[in-house]
This record gives sequence, C-alpha cells and structure tokens, in this order.
Amino acid sequence: MNKMKLALVSSVIVVIVALSLFPASANAQKKLYISGTQSLTGAYAEDSAAVLQAFEDYAKYVNETKNMAPWRKEKFPADITLEVLWRDDELKPAKALTIYEELKAKGILVYRCSGSPIALALKDRLNEDKMGATSMATGPYLLKPPGTIMSYYPIYTDSVAAVADWFLAEWKEKRKPRVAYLTADNAMGKSIEIPEMEAYLKGLGYEFLGSQYVPLVPTAPPTTQLMWLKQNRVDLALGVMINPGSQPTVKEMVRLGMGPYQPYKLTLGVATPGHIAVFAPAMGELGDGYVCAGSFPNWDDPAPGVKFQIANQKKYHPQKFASHIQYMGGTLEAMIQTEALRLAMQKVPFEKLKPADVLNYGFHQIKNLPTGDISSSPLNYGPSKIEGVDAVRVDQLRKGKIVKVGVWPTRHLY
Amino acid sequence: MAIFRTRGDWGILLAFLVFLSVCPLFLSDRILTIMTMIGIAIVSVHGLNILTGYCGQISIGHVGFMAVGAYVSAILTAKLGWSFWTALPCAALAAGIAGLIFGLPSLKIKGFYLIMATIAAHFIIIWLILQLYHVTGGPDGMPVPKPKIGGFVLKSKASYFYLVMVFTCLSTLLANNIARTRAGRAFVAVRDNDLAAEVMGISLWSYKLQAFFIGCVYAGVAGVLLVHYYAFASVDQFPFMDSVWYLGMLIVGGMGSTSGAIMGAISLKLLDELVTIVGPILSAVVAAQAAASLALITRGLVIILFLIFEPRGLAHRWGMIKTYFRLWPFSHEE
Repeated sequence: MNKMKLALVSSVIVVIVALSLFPASANAQKKLYISGTQSLTGAYAEDSAAVLQAFEDYAKYVNETKNMAPWRKEKFPADITLEVLWRDDELKPAKALTIYEELKAKGILVYRCSGSPIALALKDRLNEDKMGATSMATGPYLLKPPGTIMSYYPIYTDSVAAVADWFLAEWKEKRKPRVAYLTADNAMGKSIEIPEMEAYLKGLGYEFLGSQYVPLVPTAPPTTQLMWLKQNRVDLALGVMINPGSQPTVKEMVRLGMGPYQPYKLTLGVATPGHIAVFAPAMGELGDGYVCAGSFPNWDDPAPGVKFQIANQKKYHPQKFASHIQYMGGTLEAMIQTEALRLAMQKVPFEKLKPADVLNYGFHQIKNLPTGDISSSPLNYGPSKIEGVDAVRVDQLRKGKIVKVGVWPTRHLY
Repeated sequence: MAIFRTRGDWGILLAFLVFLSVCPLFLSDRILTIMTMIGIAIVSVHGLNILTGYCGQISIGHVGFMAVGAYVSAILTAKLGWSFWTALPCAALAAGIAGLIFGLPSLKIKGFYLIMATIAAHFIIIWLILQLYHVTGGPDGMPVPKPKIGGFVLKSKASYFYLVMVFTCLSTLLANNIARTRAGRAFVAVRDNDLAAEVMGISLWSYKLQAFFIGCVYAGVAGVLLVHYYAFASVDQFPFMDSVWYLGMLIVGGMGSTSGAIMGAISLKLLDELVTIVGPILSAVVAAQAAASLALITRGLVIILFLIFEPRGLAHRWGMIKTYFRLWPFSHEE
C-alpha cells in the first residue's frame, strides 16, 4: 500500500513537471509580456520586490488607460494587453539560463536581467537572440562590447566622476584636492577601479592616493580604512556601496570626527546603490554631507514622474505603499520595455513581432523618452548606446534633507 | 565484474545513447538547456562523490575548484588563443593541483575542521581571482570563446548539449570504474574507519590526496564546461552556496554511489525548475517574495527529509525497487 502511495505521489510530480515544461504561446490572447527575471531571494531581494511591484502597477496603468504616461500623448494599442511575466533567479546565473529559455518559449519579446551576475551570464545569449533587455545592473562590463542590455541610470564610473566634477566646482583651496576610493569589497564596488577612471580624476587635477575597501555589509566599523584616509589627508572618498555598507561607514566617520561638517574635512561620494532616499530617513542629520550620484528623486520631489508613481500606488494597492526607491527603477524599466514594444508595433504587426524587431525598431529607436524626471535625463538608446541617460544627478544630505546639488554630463568612462 | 553484465544492460545503454543523440531533434531549447545544466552538475557531483561519498572527506569548497578550472581554461583560450581541447586537460589538472594544495590539511584534520578548511579554500580562490585583475578581468570578468571542433563552433544549444553529454557519460563511466579499483576500495576503507585502514596498510596520506585530486579534476572539468557555456567567466558564476547544494544533491541521491550522484543532480535540478515556475503562480495568494522563497525552502526541506527518512538516498530506494521487481510477482512486503 505504501508503495502504491509512493508511486501515485511520484506520478503526480512527474505530470506537474512535464506540464510545466510545455511552452504556452502569448499570441493566442493578443498579449505582450514584460519583465523577466527578478532576484526576490538574493542579496537584492528588497530592491527586486519594489521593481516587481512597479512593473505590475505600470502594466495595470497601461492596460486600463492605454496611455504610456500622464505627460505623454502616445497611446498603447487598444487591443493588446500587457502582462508581467517573472521568475525568481535567486541571483544565480545557472538559474537565469533556464529561466530565460522558458520565458523565451512563452513568447516574451523584451527581457529583464535582475543583477550583474545575471546580466553577465545572459549577455552573450541575449545578443545571439537579438533580445533587447533592461537591467538594474550597470557597469562597464555591459558596455565592453555593447550588447542588448540597456541601462537606465549611469554606470558607476560615470556616477563617481560626476561627484568628482561637483566636488572640484566647490573646491576653494589652492592645493590639489586629494582623492581615494573607499568602496565595497566586491565586484560592484571594485568596478570603478579601472585605469580610465583614475586617468579622469588625475586629468581633472586630483591627486590620486589609492583604494580602501569596506565589506558589502560590514560586521565591524571600518575604522582602519577611515584612519588610512585621514593619515593620507584625503579630501574626497569615492565608492560604490549599498546602504548597509554606507550607513555604518558614515557613523564611524562621525565618531572619528571626519566629514564635511566635522573637524577633519572629508566628503564621501557614492554611486546609485547607496541610494540617498534610503540613507536620509535612516541617518537623519547624522549623515549630513553624504553625496550620492545617479540616484532617483526622493518621494517628496515635485517631479511629474514621482507624482505618477504615487498615484499608481494609491490606486492599485492603497493599503501598502512600496517606499523602496528602486520602485522608480522598476517603473523606468517597465516604461522602456513597453515603449520598445509600442515602437516596434508601428513597423511590424503584432502577429509577426520577433525579439529582433523589438530591438531594432523598438529599443534602438527610443530617442528622448521623457520619464517625468525619474531618470537624470530623457532616455536615448541605439546599437552602440546602451547607457540610456546622458546626465548624472548629484544629491547631498544637508540638515537631514536631500538637496539636489546639480546635474553633470556622463563621461563614458569604461 | 563488468559494469554492463547482460545483454539487457547493453540494450538499455544503447537505447539511452540513442535517446540522448536524438534529443535535440524534438526537445525545445529550454529543455536542452536544463539537460545541459544537469549534465554539468552531474560531472561536478561525481567529483564530490569520490571525495566525500567514497573517501569521506567532506568538502564545501567544491565550487571554488570549479572556478579554478573555469578560469584556467578561460585564460588559456581567450588570452593565449589555445584551443578548448588543449585548455581542458590543463584546466582540469590545475583544479586537481589546487585540490592537492587545499587537501593537505586533510592529513591533519577531519570532520568539522576539514569543512572549515574547504570553505576557506573557496574564499581564497575567489579572492585570488578578483585580485589578479589583469589576468582574470577581476570583478568585470572576461569573455570566453565557444569550443570548436575543427572549424565547427559549438555555438548552438544542441551542439553544446552533445558536448556536455559526452563528458557526462565519460565521467560517469570513469567514476564507476574508479570506485571498483584498488584506490576506490581504499577510499571506502578510509571513509569507514581511517584508523583501521591505516593499520591494514592503506596510506592515508596518499589516498586522501588522491581523492582530493580526482574530485577536483572533476570539478575543474565541470567548471570548464560551465564557463564555455556562458561564454563569459565571472566570479559570480561560482557562488559559495552552490557547493552546499552540490552536497545536498549527493545527500538526496545517495553518498558513495555513482547512480546516486546522477539521481541527486537530476532530482534537485528538476525540483528547482518546478518551484521556480510555481513561485509566480503562488504570488497571486501570498507576497511575491514569500512565493519566490519557495525554491529555497523546498530544496532545504527535501534535504532534511532525506536525511531523516532516507539517509542512503534515492540510489538505495532505486535498488529496493529493482529488487522488488526482480522477484515479482513473488516479492515479499517488508
């Protein structure tokens, strides 16, 4: 009897697996898919959850109104609905490969790579299939050589270059400002350590001193690294950190009397992953002087894009507001993917649409896409232009409030 | 005794090989990708099985040795222009030598302490790869060419599937044979009671290091196959947790059994595929993050359940089923 039960359970499992392996076509219901992989269980789980929520809200908005955004006149085809198709990749490249093949078989024409491990694993495949994609990841590896994965905020080198530009504009002393890297001890953090970046800093007139590393999520305050900066009389520390790294670093800086408003003058400037909108409420005035480049506007920003997203959230899930700043990244990705599909359908009928059409007639034709000021500049893409923005927004925390200190052009350092 | 003893065994083998050879004709790209990834996992788990299953040297740094093989092959093919076929044995050898180096502590320590040493091996290897920026590409990684046979590039999913299946079959045959050699029997003796084995004249020093070498050569080959499949080498492709899951595959399949390594890899990979698909469906009922966590929870739960209810793994269960049907209809209920 036990064996019969075992056989029955095994058969059910086999049938479920077999059924799940059969592809289902999107064409039968005149439906187009957006999204792709999410990393809801990896290190970026919170970011990815916000991105997914934004995708779902944007798809609902387009399906209901057929508008692309409140500030745009273009309409999405009335007879086609958008559906968000996603799978969790756990930020593991091996899973990303099979997920990609599955979603491709389901008829997805645009794709999303959740993070840099996924983008690196899929870059070659997406290129081969001429599948246009968006990604939360942005680094020099996406641009060397340019593939089909589009970025919607500046690469980290361009972000820290903007901080360097801003800092130099503010510099009053006659001597050369002294700069060093204080960055996360992982692939993301070290991606700014390229010769082009160092050459750019030296070209601006900085004295470059070297690198110090902070664990992605420090288990102890980075006292040694900060003391090294102090001993070398560094004025500006540049890096790529996430908030679990930047917050304890700044707390320790303050304890050691280091910071723009402290006895020892040191400014810490980081790229997007150190989102200032996450940093500000957590740190308050303690974090004064913290600089973040390439970030999205804060939730209290009067930008039309921010208002649009707040309205969407109030409409579709009033009981739960997704306050994570990466929600804005998700909205941008959904906008880019939907715009690519819309543009491609102007050239190729829905029934004949292939990923290559969406790439060539969609993604590559996106010019000056207005995002309601969610991104640092309107977005532009082309076969060799995958860094969508042309400018970097720089924000600083002053008296516990986020202050936009300016916008600098991207320097294309990779 | 031969591995394939009867005409029936040979018939099944032939039918299986014919099935594998015609798979790309009727299977989708997705299923070919799944099978390719399973094939690579099998090669790696065979190595871990020799090291842990047969010799009892628990390693949680297996993926680090895969990274050694992968990066050596990537450097030789991409930077020095070597052919895949020349780079492959060099990469496997390099992984084996790395295994020998990090296996040295096994002569002095075992159990929990050896686990810690192999974990350290993983992180040292990854750290070295990141530091050797000019050779490995550091955090940016490096593009890797697809293998070639003559002028034919193994670019399509079908061609790479064939390549991986050849290595999977060969590695299975080799693993099965290793278990039957003098060394294989010595591994088992060391695993069961190292003191008794030494008293019987088995050199612990030699056989423990042999197990590390062979196990890591397998890992190196798996790493090479993986990195050329991605066409890109990056440290992110070798996460520490994969070593733990490989060990989980061995537990589910059954340690110390070649068929167990295969069954474990297949079952956990398929389970992974299933829960990945079920996750988004469940998100209609629960939060997306909770639904997505299903994969992690399920895999962990399966391993725990096997440890409690069937510690000898699927291979043992399969053996029981075979015995049952061999005696059928006169088999007795236990």
